[in-house]
This record gives sequence, C-alpha cells and structure tokens, in this order.
Amino acid sequence: MIEFINVHKHYPGRRHVLRELNLRLEKGEMVLITGPSGAGKSTLLKLLTRLEAVSSGTLLVGGVDLTRLRRSQIPAHRRRVGVVFQDHKLLLDRNVYDNVALTLQVAGFSARQLDNRVRAALDKVGLSEHWREFPETLSGGEQQRVGIARAIVHTPEILLADEPTGNLDPALSTEILDMFRDFYRHGTTVLVATHDQQQVERLQVRTLHLDQGSLRESS
Amino acid sequence: MSLHIRLHALENAKNTLLAQPIATLLTVLALAVVLALPVGLFTALANLQQLLARWHDQAQISLYLRDDASPQAIAKLRMQLEQSPGVVAVHFVDKQKALADFQHYAGMMAAIHTLGTNPLPASLIVVLNPLAQSSRELDRQVQQWSHEAIVQSAQSDLKWVARLQAIVALGTRAVYLLGALLAIGAVLVMGNTIRLHIEQRRDEIEISALVGATRTFIRRPFLYQGLIQGLLAGALAWIIVAISFGLLQGPVNHLASLYGTTFPLQGLHVEDGILLILISALLGWLGSRLAVGRYLNNTFS
Repeated sequence: MIEFINVHKHYPGRRHVLRELNLRLEKGEMVLITGPSGAGKSTLLKLLTRLEAVSSGTLLVGGVDLTRLRRSQIPAHRRRVGVVFQDHKLLLDRNVYDNVALTLQVAGFSARQLDNRVRAALDKVGLSEHWREFPETLSGGEQQRVGIARAIVHTPEILLADEPTGNLDPALSTEILDMFRDFYRHGTTVLVATHDQQQVERLQVRTLHLDQGSLRESS
Repeated sequence: MSLHIRLHALENAKNTLLAQPIATLLTVLALAVVLALPVGLFTALANLQQLLARWHDQAQISLYLRDDASPQAIAKLRMQLEQSPGVVAVHFVDKQKALADFQHYAGMMAAIHTLGTNPLPASLIVVLNPLAQSSRELDRQVQQWSHEAIVQSAQSDLKWVARLQAIVALGTRAVYLLGALLAIGAVLVMGNTIRLHIEQRRDEIEISALVGATRTFIRRPFLYQGLIQGLLAGALAWIIVAISFGLLQGPVNHLASLYGTTFPLQGLHVEDGILLILISALLGWLGSRLAVGRYLNNTFS
C-alpha cells in the first residue's frame, strides 16, 4: 500500500531531514511514528500528501509512484488520502458542517451525497448535535474531531495524522487515538505521527521510531 | 465538470461579493467610470460622423461634358457614376440649365447675350459622402472619371474632405488608444481587487488544496467574482453614458438651433450596449485570471 524505497529528503542549504528511508505499510495497517521534535515525522507525512517532493528514492502509494506524479495529478492523489493536523486547520468563518463538507465539495460530490456523508462522518466522531456551530465555540477536542470528520468523510484509503493529540489532555488523546484505531479496524491504512509515549504503549500497534532522519522499528 | 460544482462556485462568488457590499460597489463604480470614458468618446465620435455625413452635399465633383456627347452616352455614364462607391447622387445639368444658373448667380446676362451662343457645357454633378472612402481613393476615382470619353474636364475641391478625414482618423485613433489604456486599467483594478480577496481567503485556499482541490476548483469562484463585477460595471457604464448624453442633449439642441437645424444625439445602440457589457465582463474575468493565476503559481509551484 505504502512503500518508501531509499527515500532521501533534504532542503537546499539545510541538513538531511530523511535519509535512506525504507518502509512498507500493508493495506489496512496502522503504524505509529514516534520521535523527538525535528526528527522528520511531519516531513514524512508531507511526502505522502505530496506537499513536499522526495529528493531521491521511490515512494509508492497504492501502486502510484509519487516521485513521478505531475503537478496536475497531485489533487487526485490527495483526494485518496485523509489528513488530520495538530492545529486542526479549520475554517473559522464556516460552521462544523461546512468545514466537513469542504472535502466533498472539492471532490465534486452532489448535494445529496454530500449531506448523507457529512452527517455520517459527524455521527462517527460524535458531533451530530454540533453541526451548526462554529469552530471557535468548540473545545480543542471537538475541533480535532471536526478535523477527523473532514479527513474521513470521503472514506479515504489512507489516513494520516500529524500529532493529532498534541494539544489535548490525556483523556481526549485516548478518545482521539481510539477513533483512529477504529478506522484501521475498518480497513483504512492509518499512519499517525506522535510523541505521546503513553498512548504508544497503550495502543499496542506497530510503532516506528524516527530520529535524525533514520527509521527503526520499535519493539 | 459537473454543473453543481459550477453552481457552488457561483454561490461562493456571490456570497463573497455580498459579504462586502461597499467594497463591491466601489470596485464596480471604479470599473464603470473607467469604461464609460472611452465608450462615451466612441459614442460622441459616432455622433460627429453622423453630423459630418449630413454635409455630404458639400462634397461635389463637376464633370463637364463635351458638346457632342450623345444623350445615350450621358445616361450610361450617369448610371455608372451612381453605382460607384461613396456616390450619394448624380445630377445632370444641361446647357440651358447651366446658362440659367449662371445668369441667376452671376448676373451677367448682358455679357452672355453678346456672345450669341451658349458657351456653357452640360455637366454631371456627382454628390459624394466624404467619409465613405479615403481621400486618395476619391482622387483616383475623380481621375478615372475625368478620362471618360465624353468628359471634357472635371472640377473638384476635395482638400477639405482630406482634412476632415484626417481629423476623424486622428480622433478615432486617440479614442482607440485611450480605450486600450483604460481597458488595461480595468484589468488592473479587477486584478488588484481579486488579489485582496485572495489574501482574505488564503486559509480556505490552502486547506482546499490540502484536501485535493484542483487549481481550476480554487480559481473558479474568483473568476466568477471578476465576471459578475465586470458585468455589473458594464451595465453601469452604459447607464452613465446614457445619462451623460441625456444631459448634453439640451446644450446640443441650443447649439443646433443657432445654426437653424436640429441634431438629436444618439446614445449607445442596444447591440453596442450588450457588447460593452460582454467586453466589461471579459475584462473582469481577465483581471481575476491574472491575479489568481499569479497567486497559484507562486504558492503551489
């Protein structure tokens, strides 16, 4: 499903962020990536969403080589992926419903399909009652759930999350990560970057440690 | 691309414009004024040409005919002249009429009587529309006519026609230049307005791109914004021109009455008005396209 083959990433004039990265994720697998700040976790996820380009090596997602993707093909690739951000990246002038609907509008869903899917996604994250509310009236945990609903509303093949519990208390972190585990159990490939060691130990899923651009399997 | 995506973009554009009604109104007004100026001048020029066309009887050429020209040959030449481009009318003046006119205008009856015979030739008076052809073409035409077998000589004063045509050509060129400059101005006004809208919606664009929006998807609402504002500005420019010509009609009437005539000013014709709105919409679209294209190239290259 996802395969990094000798992937190398560096920025001009800066150190190497990722070096000789080799990683294979099967379809429907959940993997946690841990590591200190600046280890390259976010960069790794940006390569998968093609926000950043690989400097050398091969990156395959669902059989598609992202290093050969033309600019015009990037949006279609991103529509196969759901992304959850630490800072939620919600539109403050739109209510919960419209924030979630954005993913489907971009993908060209009709109004009826869109309504059904948005309501289902909000139901899945427990925000059905809050669909009219604006992000600023919600708690941090609720905002993150809106972000998750937006990421899963189009039933992506791959779900990526960059420090999704970074700003949340332990109880909320547990709740959010349990949601990711549910998605993985339903067949979605899930890749979560986190430095929350307590949650890593609790979840009992495959974990990889990234440090100074190099990756190793954690026990 | 599905209709509902376009409708969604249109709704998005409409909401953005209505969310800032004053800013939208000011942009539309600025564009309308920029467009009204060349369009008003174009219309004034069209009125001037119409006025000049009224003076066509001032552009006459007299073809003096040989005494031995047969009536058939004269009729044939007359028909040929009437079918020539730019010819409004051809009048035949026979020898007797020429003599009568001469006596009437010159008052030299006694002198003519001493000659015993009528020395004046018959002639064909060709009335021309001075703006129908270039002065060079008119000269060539007159030369050609003067070499006809039954024509003894030709007399014309087409210098003033050349001057008039030069003035009209100068005015037309000046209005075209001004129009082109102001069209660029309109594109820049729209481009700058859309640039500000893009800045306000930077987060939305960034998040849309993250969830897989294509450049077309991101660009479309902004293009519709430009198009809508352009359409409104074109309609408003038409209204401005119509009101301006309405206000000028009184003084023009007064001026015309001093010359013992009337001159109803013609505003924009409906088809020209529609063309103005379409061009204005196109300029709005173009300004938006340049601004959003530049932004997308810088941001998502």
